[in-house]
Amino acid sequence: MEQEIQQKGYAYPEALVSTEWVVANLEDTENVRIVESDEDVLLYEIGHVPSSVKIDWVEDLNDPLMRDYLDPEHFANLMTEKGITPDTTVVFYGDKNNWWATYALWVFRLFGHEKVVVMDGGRVKWEAENRTMTQDIPSFPKAEYPVPGRDDQKIRAFKEDVEKHIGKAMVDVRSPGEYKGELLHMPDYPQEGALRGGHIPGAANVPWARAVREDGTFKSADELRGIYEGEAGLQQGEDVIAYCRIGERSSHTWFVLKYLLGYENVRNYDGSWTEWGNLVRAPIER
Amino acid sequence: MDRKARVARLVEHVENPLHKGVLDGAQVVMPGGSPECGGSVTVYLKGDGDGCIEGLSWTGQGDTISMGSTSIALERVLGEDLTMDEVLDFDYEALLQEIGRDVIGSRTRNATMGLSTLKSAVRKYRRNRLADDGQPSKVESV
Repeated sequence: MEQEIQQKGYAYPEALVSTEWVVANLEDTENVRIVESDEDVLLYEIGHVPSSVKIDWVEDLNDPLMRDYLDPEHFANLMTEKGITPDTTVVFYGDKNNWWATYALWVFRLFGHEKVVVMDGGRVKWEAENRTMTQDIPSFPKAEYPVPGRDDQKIRAFKEDVEKHIGKAMVDVRSPGEYKGELLHMPDYPQEGALRGGHIPGAANVPWARAVREDGTFKSADELRGIYEGEAGLQQGEDVIAYCRIGERSSHTWFVLKYLLGYENVRNYDGSWTEWGNLVRAPIER
Repeated sequence: MDRKARVARLVEHVENPLHKGVLDGAQVVMPGGSPECGGSVTVYLKGDGDGCIEGLSWTGQGDTISMGSTSIALERVLGEDLTMDEVLDFDYEALLQEIGRDVIGSRTRNATMGLSTLKSAVRKYRRNRLADDGQPSKVESV
């Protein structure tokens, strides 16, 4: 079961669990909480892993007024509602190669929740293996969750951090078209999210989905090193900032660099291109 | 219709979308949304030259809300034989209510992607017509 994950040679293989592991632990709702987080927000209603709860990144993890994540009190309330304690192992999965699952995991790590893992292969693998899906919404007893601190320094980068980081290791995980600024130049194309196209000077382009295989599982450490180090020029020990459009795809890359390849200092710039591409006088390359 | 039924209706429109496909002879091909992030549609429009819609279809990829809502919106337009003026007056809020605010939640942009792209297509159709007629293009209100 977990041997397959072990064989992929990750720095922190315990950050991933297999679909078999999830099946074996479905009943352990006291210590394990499975969380579905999707881009297609209705997928959970259509069918989900038994005993899993839904966390909608937009509705549940964001501040409703200001562009920021929820505050510590609301996070603690959310955990209480979902029956999650500080000791619960939270297993994230979702659609799109676990893209939004890793984003939710990243937000949990902002609040210092320790036991967070991703189900390798996500929703697509669970379905491909014809495993049981249900529409039943589980109900768990409310849990005690002390209001945590929120640490934005270690894994989150702000505009000022990026300005100081130009010329150092940075990864733009959007498509080549977005990276080159081409998508904003197509005639008639709605100007989605930014007034200018291109990328932050010096950033390497590694589209986020290059980290996964056809079946939705993450590539091996060797394969990932070939991409991020062999092609994009990252080096172990470097301080890396990853970004995309709103920080959702780049959280996937953050997870890959941090947990699978063992980069100690990786930050997600969640302002990403919707901020940088609209920022007066922010330098841009094409 | 309860929430579960409203979700089921959207899913039905995703699995059996109405008016989906490329329209041969379309005078306007209008993209909308973002193919890289969140989903996108393309609306194909043909007018009869007299303010009415002669042909309308769409293609796209995206989540259940955007794809299902696009099918529902275009079915309304064609089913009720709306004119181009009526398309521009088609109230977004009415569409959101019909699909179900409790289903859409905060994904309003996804739910109105198809309708807003259709409105852009209508505007482009009219601009093209004015240009073809040799008239200066008017500034249209959004």
